[in-house]
Amino acid sequence: MSGAREYLQVFVTEPYLGLHTGPGRGYPVFHVVGREESVEVLKRRTEWFKVRTERGVEGWAPQHAMLKTVLADGSPFTFDLGNREGFTSHRFEMGVFAGDYGGATLISAYGSLSLNPQLAVELSLGQFLGNASNGVLANLGFAHVFLPERRLSPFATLGTGVVNIDPKATLVSPTDRTDQTAYVGGGLRFYLTRRFFLRGEYRRYVIFTSRDENEEVDEWKMGFAFFF
Amino acid sequence: MENGLRVLLLMLAAGALAGCASVRAWLDRDQTAQEPQTLDDLVIAEQEDTLAPPPRVIEPEVERRRIKRPKIDTENVEIGVHYGALSIEDFGTNPSYGVSAAYHVTEDFFLRAELGRSTAGRTSFETLAGDVQLLTGDERYFTYYSLSLGYNFLPGEVFLGRGLAMNSAFYLIGGIGSTEFAGDHRFTVSFGAGYRVLPTDWLAVHVTVQDRVFESDLLGRSKLTNNIEAYVSATVFF
Repeated sequence: MSGAREYLQVFVTEPYLGLHTGPGRGYPVFHVVGREESVEVLKRRTEWFKVRTERGVEGWAPQHAMLKTVLADGSPFTFDLGNREGFTSHRFEMGVFAGDYGGATLISAYGSLSLNPQLAVELSLGQFLGNASNGVLANLGFAHVFLPERRLSPFATLGTGVVNIDPKATLVSPTDRTDQTAYVGGGLRFYLTRRFFLRGEYRRYVIFTSRDENEEVDEWKMGFAFFF
Repeated sequence: MENGLRVLLLMLAAGALAGCASVRAWLDRDQTAQEPQTLDDLVIAEQEDTLAPPPRVIEPEVERRRIKRPKIDTENVEIGVHYGALSIEDFGTNPSYGVSAAYHVTEDFFLRAELGRSTAGRTSFETLAGDVQLLTGDERYFTYYSLSLGYNFLPGEVFLGRGLAMNSAFYLIGGIGSTEFAGDHRFTVSFGAGYRVLPTDWLAVHVTVQDRVFESDLLGRSKLTNNIEAYVSATVFF
């Protein structure tokens, strides 16, 4: 492909489309595009679209106004929105948690890829900071969401991962060790607004140690996440 | 060369197919144009209609062309580098540097992950006592990461003379993370504020001040230490 990029062209059906100087509700409208005129969609940032008019004027239009434009074939211009519908069915999720991992303070982040509204593959990374030991953990697993269309929906998780525990030097056996883990858990997610939701989660880990018996650790965490 | 020939042949084929279709349409039109003249003709025509198989619907032989919708470039991710000064409590102020990545979720909120490092200087005790070293070389590295939520508190515009206006925002930011300092990791809470100016749509320059607070018992007593960092960063949106 060579030459200029091809942009999507949409037509204004409302009496006018106001263009703002910046991608925010406070930026003033400096130009209006009349009905039946078209604009090219250059880019999108959060809830704003940067467009170029037939005369070459560039400005930002809010997504609620862009929803009322149509494509060249007359079909409405549609795109993903940060709303309840998006909460029910989306592709990606990311979030940050604070919590407790076997008595240590936990900082954790996760990303998920939804295979369908109910099932998602999740990758979570965390670091725990305790009085006796510090450590990091990485996990990969599945999350099954029950009733994804509800504002408050429960979910169950199952997965596996690794944990690296670094006991503090004052302890008797200060050996750094990495072990495989498996976890099972559940939690609740609650839709807040736009693309945000709260997520609280409990996991029970089994650490497959090289010693005679396995260790079990409880993890509680709470945080917020967003979908896109 | 070969591609050109292929395109030419394809065009010819498409043209021929379209041509055949239109010729058939003309023939059909000729047949329908013959109108019954008398009542007898009408009856015969009706009988023929009931006997004859229903007229064959012309099936399109050329597949409908799928219109490809150009993809819209979504620019919600911002990555960048920063450089500034970090005041490590009891260890003086030293240069700091790092990287950051942010995702703009809505026009108001964004999430930012930061990773940075500085090297602690000498405490006043070490300076006065002469040959005393509280920390070894590696322990002097102050390495932190933070996961924060930012809120664009005061969006606006900056005017440079008559002809240039740049978008800007004042934001508040707060989060959690960890700091590795003096041979230990510590849970760290960070909060602060920043100011962002965008010379173009995709480039931003920030000035940020953040306090990174954690509990430390390095100098005997356990206390909350405030480590204030002020830095300039350049980020790009993509």
